[in-house]
Amino acid sequence: MPSRLLDLEPGAGPRGLAAYRERGGYSAARKALSSMTPADVREEVKKARLRGRGGAGFPAGIKWSFVPQEEGRPVYLCVNADEGEPGTFKDKYILGHNPHLLLEGIVIAGYAVGIHSAYVYIRGEYELIARRLEDAIVEATACGFLGADIQGTGFALDVAVHRGAGAYVCGEETALLESLEGKRGWPRLKPPFPAVVGLFSSPTVINNVETLANLPGLIRDGSAAFLALGCPQDGGTRLFGVSGAVVKPGLFELSVGASLREIIFQHAGGMLPGKMLKAVIPGGLSSPILKADEIDVAMDFDSLAASGSMLGSAGIIVIGDDTPILRVLDRIVKFYAHESCGQCTPCRLGTAWMAKLVRRLSAGEGRQGDVTELERVASMIRGRTLCPLGDAAVLPVLAVVSKFRDELETSIPPESRRA
Amino acid sequence: MSTVLSSGLKDRIAALAVRYPRKQAALLPALHWIQDENGFIAPEAERDLAALLEIKPIQVREAVAFYTMFHRRPMGRYHVQVCDNLSCDIRGGATVLARLQERLGIGPGETTADGKFTLTTVECLGACEKAPCLMINFDYHGSLDPDRVDRLLESLE
Amino acid sequence: MVRLCIDGRPVEAPEGTTVLQASKSAGIRIPHFCHHPAFPPEGSCRICLVAIEGLPKLELACSTVVREGMKVTTECANVRAARRAVLEFLLAEHPLDCPICDKAGDCKLQDYSQEHGLTENAFSEIKEKRAKLVPIGDKLLLDRERCILCSRCVRFLTRVTGTRELGIFRRGIMAEVDLYEGEPIRNNYSGNLADVCPVGAITDVEFRFRTRPWFLQEKPTLCPLCSRGCNLWADYHPGFPRVADSAGIFRFRPRPNEAVNGHWICDIGRYGAMALVRNRVREIQWTNRGPRGFPNWEKALAFGAAGIHELRQSGRIGQAALLLSARLTAEELYLARKIFVDGLGFVRIAFTDPAEGPDDAILLRRERAPNARGARMLGFDTKAGLSAAVSGASTLWIFGAGPAGLDSLRDAPGPLQQAAGVKILIAAHPTGLEPLVDVVLPAASVFEKGGTYVNTDGLVQAFEPVHPPCGEARPEWRILLDLGAALGLPGEIFKGPADLISVSRALRIEHPEFLGEVG
Repeated sequence: MPSRLLDLEPGAGPRGLAAYRERGGYSAARKALSSMTPADVREEVKKARLRGRGGAGFPAGIKWSFVPQEEGRPVYLCVNADEGEPGTFKDKYILGHNPHLLLEGIVIAGYAVGIHSAYVYIRGEYELIARRLEDAIVEATACGFLGADIQGTGFALDVAVHRGAGAYVCGEETALLESLEGKRGWPRLKPPFPAVVGLFSSPTVINNVETLANLPGLIRDGSAAFLALGCPQDGGTRLFGVSGAVVKPGLFELSVGASLREIIFQHAGGMLPGKMLKAVIPGGLSSPILKADEIDVAMDFDSLAASGSMLGSAGIIVIGDDTPILRVLDRIVKFYAHESCGQCTPCRLGTAWMAKLVRRLSAGEGRQGDVTELERVASMIRGRTLCPLGDAAVLPVLAVVSKFRDELETSIPPESRRA
Repeated sequence: MSTVLSSGLKDRIAALAVRYPRKQAALLPALHWIQDENGFIAPEAERDLAALLEIKPIQVREAVAFYTMFHRRPMGRYHVQVCDNLSCDIRGGATVLARLQERLGIGPGETTADGKFTLTTVECLGACEKAPCLMINFDYHGSLDPDRVDRLLESLE
Repeated sequence: MVRLCIDGRPVEAPEGTTVLQASKSAGIRIPHFCHHPAFPPEGSCRICLVAIEGLPKLELACSTVVREGMKVTTECANVRAARRAVLEFLLAEHPLDCPICDKAGDCKLQDYSQEHGLTENAFSEIKEKRAKLVPIGDKLLLDRERCILCSRCVRFLTRVTGTRELGIFRRGIMAEVDLYEGEPIRNNYSGNLADVCPVGAITDVEFRFRTRPWFLQEKPTLCPLCSRGCNLWADYHPGFPRVADSAGIFRFRPRPNEAVNGHWICDIGRYGAMALVRNRVREIQWTNRGPRGFPNWEKALAFGAAGIHELRQSGRIGQAALLLSARLTAEELYLARKIFVDGLGFVRIAFTDPAEGPDDAILLRRERAPNARGARMLGFDTKAGLSAAVSGASTLWIFGAGPAGLDSLRDAPGPLQQAAGVKILIAAHPTGLEPLVDVVLPAASVFEKGGTYVNTDGLVQAFEPVHPPCGEARPEWRILLDLGAALGLPGEIFKGPADLISVSRALRIEHPEFLGEVG
């Protein structure tokens, strides 16, 4: 299994420009810039079926095609390095350990779409990584891999790092744009879509760090090879992050479509001693939970969707039998209540309602009918919010209730009555 | 602890602001610089910043109040931010938090009397592979347990 | 035009309109909180969700643009469930304040909850406690528990006044509307915030606890405080039987008119109009220089007519002064001209109106009277010098636009005191000149009479009385008709029935420009 993105020795520090170039770095960008047209690059990316690695999984090639090809307004690229989805830590490694891979991907994307200005919106907590990224940008620019005349091809692109400040909602693309413009992270109504009206009202592409980091390999090896690494609708590899009750939590680069069971029990070393697998959240906290007998599933978008969950950010959280499911539910609803931006009614009120209800359950003050009520409230939010955070709050709750109802009901004193 | 912007900071912010098509876009980066230099964001700083970015102070306050990393009161010298999200919780995050509370004598949201430590709980820090973890100012510390918490506290001067 | 189908009905709407706008023009009501016709779609309340054939999820009516052949359903189980959900969510954290909330009866949250059968609140957690009596302006209070975060107030202060006194701080359920460092809202449009708030979160201190909206009838009228002629709704209480002083206007609100004031009115108008309502001259008064006996209209008019007659006989009409006001209607100014200029030959004529003030870029105009343009159309010089008219005059007929407007006479009453002849003041509101004249005749206020004003842009606006004159007051057009008759002036108008329609008609026959918009 070629280790394409991480590509580092255990214990090695960040890969500087010299080391990056030694391993063929920035040659894919040169290939794109000098021997391909932008349309060629876009076509390759489409054929490779590169799907967004931020969570939504939208095909990158199709997203790029929404940008109107017109003169006049600058087109921007925003790199989504907000990485707020709990259970997700992959972009941190790309940014911190192989920043030039991202920068090269940015150049390729910029060339493909006609972008000369890119912002990396990086979560504020990644301050130390942001500084490394800034250093890498300075380095790359000094050597002509970014800036006015990239590798002598005449293509120009500048990259700036822009820090967030602690808001999960700013991982949503339009909230990211608002935040970048210096406002609260309140998502925008769509349409218009960012590809047409985005940053500073200009056409904008927003791509996840890992999505862009795939581009050098994709261009270097071609779309067919990229696609072959994955599965027919979903090309390439993914950085699967495993955390929770496993022996070797960490990041594993594997083909799209790798088996969840194998990831947990082979790569991540299986359960910690004395613990049995109870449940797995496969794609970051927003993805519906899977029971222990549901982990024989291929980790690609379509297979997980068919099982009623989602690949999302491929953040795999492994839950052992020593963790009460009520605790899992409690952490989920608390998170979304904290992170709801407050703009729209169902999410603002609904996430708080769910959090208050579950907090009462956790305090032992549950009442008969509470679990049904929780389901009812979640269903009232679903599909009606201004941005996907609403559904992200709801689908995991509905899945936990649906699959672990009995255990939840045991937390309610049997003699209690509905208020 | 200053409440206003030093002239050096004003120059840096002004220089940053013109690099965006709209000056307001420099708001979050500028707030980080202000908090870095002053320790917190005071109303006077909000007014100074608003003038530099040609917006109203209330728009600065909206950002300060929305984003959890900005503080309107000084934090302790070490801002201990403990993740209490799921992966850290599964790996014993609650015990880590309890030990910190015990050792520091403060609860989440509080600062020690000598101003050395502020303790808060935060959402996922993106270091789940090293759960349970926390962030002190901008430094991550992972794979914690009560003993390691003790040693960590001792190492902080 | 786009042809679409709403609830099975064919509807035509211009390109670019939203489903909400198209529904409204077809008479179909779609509930909404955050939408306001003056602002672009906000999309945050989520109650305007409707079903559109072919789309898997419900869509917002406020922001979805109509397309040819679109099939919209605004009433079906799905849509009702979505609306109920929004209402349940809002009620979850909403205080049960209706018994003490001014908005009750006028409240969209209350109305929609009723319509959707939400009489009980399923929320059984603990509600957030928030501040309930936050002064945010001289006339405004904010109740944060009632606030539904529709952001209309914030958007008003951003888009209309640009002053941004309010912002939204924090996020999620903790998000709240607030001032910056307590700096209150002190712009000339703050009163609109209480109108714009769909619930009782922002309330007006002047209206607070005074009455209930269901007692009030909204009647159209115009604002007389400047030459913009903003359209108003006067909320009028017809009064309780046998309860003294229970009838009257309780509040003014903007009456939307795209050609004049959009959706707003300014505070000078809103609160100035209420001050006019509260400060009235209601009774005929005269000093011992006036007629004998108990004051009544007949004696007063006879006295005034006699005074004029005497001047005419002695050829001293040149010493008679007429002070008019641009708050008089076109009909009244027309009669005044007929009597005093054409009929009697007065030469000393000037206008008393409040001094000009700065205009703002929104609604307020420099001229602080509603009909200066109308007066000029009738041949009057509204800028003629007041002191030139009054100095050396012996008889004065003063039509006063109180409270302001006669400041120079009130503050330097010399010429008035020296006038030896009859001095008659006809005013609806106290002017401060009462001790200096012989007879005070109570005129109807702008809201107690009908007539026509021409605004600064030349728009002719006719209006009707909100309620009959109070006390002994009469509209100036009636006073003038009676005076003309008492003077025996020629003219059909003084012989016919004393009604406003005859005067309006006569005005428009002689001056067709008052039939429509001018220039």
